[in-house]
Amino acid sequence: MNTYYAANLLIFAGVDIIACIALNLQFGVSGIVNFAFIVFQAAGAYTAAVLSMPPDTAADYSFQIYFGGFNLPFPIPWIGGAVAGALLAVPIGLIVLRNLRSDYQAIALLVTSIIANTVINNARPWLNGAAGLALVPRPLNPIEPVPDSYLYFYIGLTAVCVALVWFIAARIVNSPFGRTLRAMRDQELAATALGKNPVALKMTMFIVGGAIAGLSGAILVGFLTFWAPSTWLYPETVILFAAVIVGGRGNNLGAVLGALLVPVGLEEVTRLLNNYVNIGPPNFIPAMEWVLIGLFILGFLWFRPEGVRPEGHKVFPEGFESGVRVLGDRD
Amino acid sequence: MSILVAAFGFGLVSASVIALAAVGFTMQFGITNMINLAYGEVMIASAYVAYYVDQRGVSIWIAMLIGAAFGAVFSFLINRLIYAPFQRKGTSLLGMVIVSLAVSLMIANIMLPIVGYFPVSYNERFSTLLRFGAIALTVNQIAIFALAGAIMVAIHALLRYTRLGKAMRATAANPTLARNCGIPTQRVIDAVWLITGALCGLAGVVAALDSDSFTISSGAGFLITALAAAVLGGAGQPYGAMIGAVVIGLITEMSAAVWSPDYKQVVAFAILVVVMVLRPQGLLAKRGAAAAAG
Repeated sequence: MNTYYAANLLIFAGVDIIACIALNLQFGVSGIVNFAFIVFQAAGAYTAAVLSMPPDTAADYSFQIYFGGFNLPFPIPWIGGAVAGALLAVPIGLIVLRNLRSDYQAIALLVTSIIANTVINNARPWLNGAAGLALVPRPLNPIEPVPDSYLYFYIGLTAVCVALVWFIAARIVNSPFGRTLRAMRDQELAATALGKNPVALKMTMFIVGGAIAGLSGAILVGFLTFWAPSTWLYPETVILFAAVIVGGRGNNLGAVLGALLVPVGLEEVTRLLNNYVNIGPPNFIPAMEWVLIGLFILGFLWFRPEGVRPEGHKVFPEGFESGVRVLGDRD
Repeated sequence: MSILVAAFGFGLVSASVIALAAVGFTMQFGITNMINLAYGEVMIASAYVAYYVDQRGVSIWIAMLIGAAFGAVFSFLINRLIYAPFQRKGTSLLGMVIVSLAVSLMIANIMLPIVGYFPVSYNERFSTLLRFGAIALTVNQIAIFALAGAIMVAIHALLRYTRLGKAMRATAANPTLARNCGIPTQRVIDAVWLITGALCGLAGVVAALDSDSFTISSGAGFLITALAAAVLGGAGQPYGAMIGAVVIGLITEMSAAVWSPDYKQVVAFAILVVVMVLRPQGLLAKRGAAAAAG
């Protein structure tokens, strides 16, 4: 196992963990079935790319067409990616989350995901169409091919982001706000009757999740150095859903576990199989991987809907009395 | 101006294709409460079944019937083996959407190693061109138009005048009450999946015939246009889906004529967004889904 493979694995794992935590905040904690999740990751990746790339008139870049090309130094593209994810969540959220029934919301978001991909794929002048953006500069512009020390640096950078996202998600899930979100997820009508505004709550989580998804895209594009419509087709969202369902909805540890089991574990296993085993027609193993992901979703929803690590019941440590006392103190 | 008249002709053909797909989709939703995201993949699977039959030298019009039969059996089995057990278990509407998306992905990827990536087309994709003033349509397109018209009349007759149709409407309006009145709702739902599955299969073959060539990835596009027409008309309403199909068929073809055919689906999507913002319940808003007029 060489360093590059290890770095690849760790950075993909980090990106998937971040994405799964974000999706868990939306789907597991707040009950928003965001079938357009990958679009937010893509928005972050494209934004980070055009912020860090030189203009498309630059010498090595003239084979691509894209807007922007601001040539900005390292932290700005990543921050920009997160901001782009959050900004994109505003119009989509306003259209989808306000007056649609929850199953309509899901299909509206799925359609959004397919159409966004179609538009970017067909419209070349914005983001180079189907060919995608290539030669995206890595953070801090290292010499190519990158030395091992840079790979360690990138792993560290990803780890810092994972820690940051974990911290934010933990704060949200364990706060009174997180309780409100879970109340809305489980009994939306009751939560509304208690004066909670479900649209505002969902919008907030849509924007927070969008920002985290955007960050994950920025990290990914900085490592891959290219980004194209074929990397964010809607089935990618389904993998993340499978991860959150398998890992355990509603708790961050479950999301992390799911990320390690499904996108990281399963994909690595099939990649190894694909390299060493030769069965069936070409693309047989990758296609079967997708079938397996579908079976995971169906199997877990049927046999163990709470996932590998269930959310657990939230109770006050010393029973009902202490709960009343704690709540009393808050008022 | 004549380009718009020509586009109007194509629009009618498009509307016919979309109507076949959308009516089946919306009836599944209205009567069995199932947003079946695997609908597009069943369409494309049926189109491939018809393709293999067509390759053996059988006329496409007979292959179409076989495709429809395949769609009916396939949809029936998906419901019996996957959807119905999950629904009986009490899975939420949202859970069912996730289930159907997983099923959709599985169908596409089971088919992929069998059919491959390359676009295929039917032997009969070219046919004689007939002109009516500025409108020029092929014999195939006119046949599709006539076929869709006949099927729509048949659906109307089924829902309005037969015992089965009335039982379907009753099941859509209130399944518990329908069961208490002695309607065998389980058998009605089986019949719905067979009928809508046949529509789905037929729509798949017709859509594939109308679009010259098709690939495994055409399924998503089929689903989106059917979905847009169904939502525009008011989800669960067969007559709404017919109106929605006409609106979307005409608008997408006209926009393709004056703008670019690459964006047909985008235009359908734009219509969908406008409807969702302004009138999320659809054009024919009536609770109780598939209730026909009267």
